[in-house]
Amino acid sequence: MKINTDRFSLTFDEYLTETNVLFYLNDAVTQLLEHKEECTQFGVVRYFAEYFTSVKNGNHVLFREFSYIKVTPHNRESFIHTFWKCFRQIGKNGDLLAMSEYSSLLQLLCPDFPTEMVQNAARIVLVDDAADSLMSFSDFIYSFQIQFYYEEFVESVSVIYQDLLSGKNPNTVIVPTSTSVEQLSSAANEEPDAQEGVDSSVFCECIEGLCERFKHKFPSTVAIKEILESSQQVSFYGFLMALAKHEGVNQDIGALPNKSDLLIDPEMDQELERL
Amino acid sequence: MAEKRRAGVAIMSDEQLLSQAGVSALLRGALLRLLECRPEDPVGFLAEHFAHLSSEAEDGASERQSVSRALWHLSLAHHSHRSAFNNNVRVAYELLTQGVPRRLGVGGVRGRLYSEMLRCLCSEGGLSGSTAAPLLRRIQSHDYESVPFELFRQGVLTCAVFADYIRKSQCLYAAVASAPDRPAERTLCQAVLSTLREALETADGADVARYLEASAKISPAKVAQAMAEVQPRAQRHDGLTMDAQEFEDAAAALFIARVRTVS
Repeated sequence: MKINTDRFSLTFDEYLTETNVLFYLNDAVTQLLEHKEECTQFGVVRYFAEYFTSVKNGNHVLFREFSYIKVTPHNRESFIHTFWKCFRQIGKNGDLLAMSEYSSLLQLLCPDFPTEMVQNAARIVLVDDAADSLMSFSDFIYSFQIQFYYEEFVESVSVIYQDLLSGKNPNTVIVPTSTSVEQLSSAANEEPDAQEGVDSSVFCECIEGLCERFKHKFPSTVAIKEILESSQQVSFYGFLMALAKHEGVNQDIGALPNKSDLLIDPEMDQELERL
Repeated sequence: MAEKRRAGVAIMSDEQLLSQAGVSALLRGALLRLLECRPEDPVGFLAEHFAHLSSEAEDGASERQSVSRALWHLSLAHHSHRSAFNNNVRVAYELLTQGVPRRLGVGGVRGRLYSEMLRCLCSEGGLSGSTAAPLLRRIQSHDYESVPFELFRQGVLTCAVFADYIRKSQCLYAAVASAPDRPAERTLCQAVLSTLREALETADGADVARYLEASAKISPAKVAQAMAEVQPRAQRHDGLTMDAQEFEDAAAALFIARVRTVS
């Protein structure tokens, strides 16, 4: 939750917005009104203390609605972390689950978590739409992380990819003529084809251009360059999979440990040993 | 609010409920503190802010807790942010005077608590016990005495400024030492120390914070000038050096000499 800009030069409004403080305060008051019994002079102080402590510790997203958990990067990171803590045992058992099962698990923690997003995450692992294909916990969670934490980025990159596939360079200015308008509408209906690919360096340039003006979170350009410099051609899902597997990107988000530590759960191990 | 009426008894509206519990005053206070201090971690700051408020309201705080809470308040703003710092000093003072029975109109912080407070401030400011000791001897009070607000404020400010001053001196020493693990040449150190003394002497008046303004006058140019004057004489390379601790003690002594002893 640290902010890097010179926070003393921001106006009050800017500081409060950038840190999402007003959002959390508003939510705290709304939650308080849903627990009216806490509304005593002493109760409210303790209530706010507990609320902000739980936000700080990342416990605040449990059982909250989807619109809440997606609204700040901290909330998204906390949710991914919580999902991992709750279900890493599945990984230990080596179980492979289908997309619908992961969706149910997510909905245990967030009742209105959209299945569509889980589908998108599954596509990163499975590429084609086989709804019954099984995925390991490890494969799923890292892909889910990219899809959920960088949702807006993934969407924008998808548009760039489609443009490049249909032969358009998004960086050029298009003067609408009748033929190019047709091209636009047909490109919009295409799903990015995983088997094809685009030129990595052009793709990289376009993504860097996007990042320069992008208002949402995006993976470090260092990581993006690293990935795209490693091959001449790249597919959309190939790119996302590489992001999912990239250790640096994972650490920047900060929600999950390294892949080798993913399944370590010392408390559960102790419990199991007692049995 | 028709749906809120049940069995003929009016249930309060949300706004009434919140205002009765004092929520807007509470949040206003929290936001003001937040905007004053602009911490790097606003959520963590708010968590601690409310937690402290809540436990203050809860128990008759033990002394240890009072001191640590007072210290926390003092850590929130640097002394150069004068109004924020003064507010924090006021809050800390109130915390430490709680539960002290007022004897015939004499209020204030108990001497023992005040001395403890200053000791902790110095150590939290990175000062070693030996560096802080001479300063503390001058400004701390007897255990049985009662410390009024203005004296409390001066003492706290002195410690904060002293900690900054020593840090600056350490940087100056590092600047004149040719290598991090070798002591600096004595003549160079003495040149720097006399520049420090000059700067301190220009600070007139009782306000301790002027000392820091004075030390800001020790611009790199001034130090370089002093060193340039020294350099030809140092060609002798007589190998006399001054180590970091001696330099720090000497710098500390310059500062402490100008602090009035509290009698």
